[in-house]
Amino acid sequence: MKTILALASLALLTAAVSPAFAQHGMPGGTPMTFFVTSEPIGDGGNLGGLAGADAHCQKLAQAVGAGDRTWRAYLSTQARAGQPAVNARDRIGNGPWYNFDGVMIARDRAHLHGDTLDLARLGNNLTKRTGLTEKGQIVPGLNDYQVPRDSDWEYSKTTPYTNRHEMLTGSQLDGRAYPPGTDYTCSNWTSNSDPAPTQAQLGQEGGPNRPNAQIGFPDRNGGGNGSWNSSHGTTGCSQTALNRTHGVGMFYCFAAN
Amino acid sequence: MKNIYLLVLIGPLLTANTAVAQESGKLPDRIPSSLMTFFVTSEPIGDGGSLGGLAGADAHCQKLATAVGAGGKMWRAYLSTQARPGQPAVNARDRIGTGPWFSAKERVPDYLNRRLSRPIVQSEIHGDTLDEARRGSNLTKEFALTEKGDLVNGIGDPLPTRHDILTGSRPDGRAFTDNADHTCNNWTSNAAGSAQVGHSDRIGNGNQSWNSSHATTGCSQRDLVSWGGVGLLYCFAVN
Repeated sequence: MKTILALASLALLTAAVSPAFAQHGMPGGTPMTFFVTSEPIGDGGNLGGLAGADAHCQKLAQAVGAGDRTWRAYLSTQARAGQPAVNARDRIGNGPWYNFDGVMIARDRAHLHGDTLDLARLGNNLTKRTGLTEKGQIVPGLNDYQVPRDSDWEYSKTTPYTNRHEMLTGSQLDGRAYPPGTDYTCSNWTSNSDPAPTQAQLGQEGGPNRPNAQIGFPDRNGGGNGSWNSSHGTTGCSQTALNRTHGVGMFYCFAAN
Repeated sequence: MKNIYLLVLIGPLLTANTAVAQESGKLPDRIPSSLMTFFVTSEPIGDGGSLGGLAGADAHCQKLATAVGAGGKMWRAYLSTQARPGQPAVNARDRIGTGPWFSAKERVPDYLNRRLSRPIVQSEIHGDTLDEARRGSNLTKEFALTEKGDLVNGIGDPLPTRHDILTGSRPDGRAFTDNADHTCNNWTSNAAGSAQVGHSDRIGNGNQSWNSSHATTGCSQRDLVSWGGVGLLYCFAVN
């Protein structure tokens, strides 16, 4: 009898604890409403459009028990004929957003994007310590592990601790889409192609026939400015090209509700 | 024939070695770099917010720079002082020249011919335009090295944390204009008062300000330590 009681109370305890852990954030604390994808989709800038990227967020959240929210990838798309632009900042709800540890990343969209000079100068609370994946991992950044081949996808894909701190955003500093023309979104997240060889190594700016994605850094360390959402472009849209500048095609996910 | 086999075997090894050499060659032999025009003091003056005024703080920068062979430049502490009767305010940003400023370690250009440690720029570190304020500067934990090229302990590093850097300044690099003390009585008090500090690792207090994150609760050395600092300063070369 005693044993049964003990077992029963154990079961009760487990039941009581599990939901708290499942919510993420500290047990009983604030549920997670922001994360960096722990892994890329893996096909360069081809994410299957916004829908494909959102589904990736949802899938990763689901896997850690946080699938009961509407997860959105922080990505913009540029205007096309008959298709208006989509601004990343308009997709992610109103905040506040909390990471895996229950730490607030930003109070609202104005705080996240620094909409006034005062807000922008102080910055939000997205740092290397808070820009965690849905599993609570810190994203490997510059010089973390001193891996010589950290720009080589053939190596990076089997070495999860190579520098991979470039998040796809396709967005301007204010979180809005770029005007049409120059590609900043790997053709609205459908392209995995690279510039023609004659145009390769021209740098990281987009241009005519130069597939390119704008990226930012969750660790705020790179590109000479550390912008979390709009630091610089890529050398192309293939998985290999993304890795050349230390990205692997990961992105930010926000809970819109 | 044997020689050819040997070459085939050694070839890839040589290439690998070269790659490693290039990688480790990212850092120059000489630290600090001769380009260094910015550093965080490796040591505090040690008397809380009493630095001997701006002159005392400047002398501390100059002394530390001289000790590592960089005394040929004119060094200034990044500090503001508040207005007093007959004594106008001094803005930290106006004391440090025009820049750009380089850190103690300069890396060789990368594959796209960019310097990974891009210098910091006056308008960027102060966010003079909204775009600049949003984008930020390259003043990161890895850039904010001491004059000896060492990292300054920040959040997540072994204690004690030393990332609270005295500035007495607002985010735009200017002096406070209210009546409260933000400068430990213009850097003469080691007891009453308060100093505005920034974080050299850009982490803490829910913001990322390098120069104006929060106030201390007092000006003694003990007060500074209780907040995660020891009274370190930013030093900039004016010329």
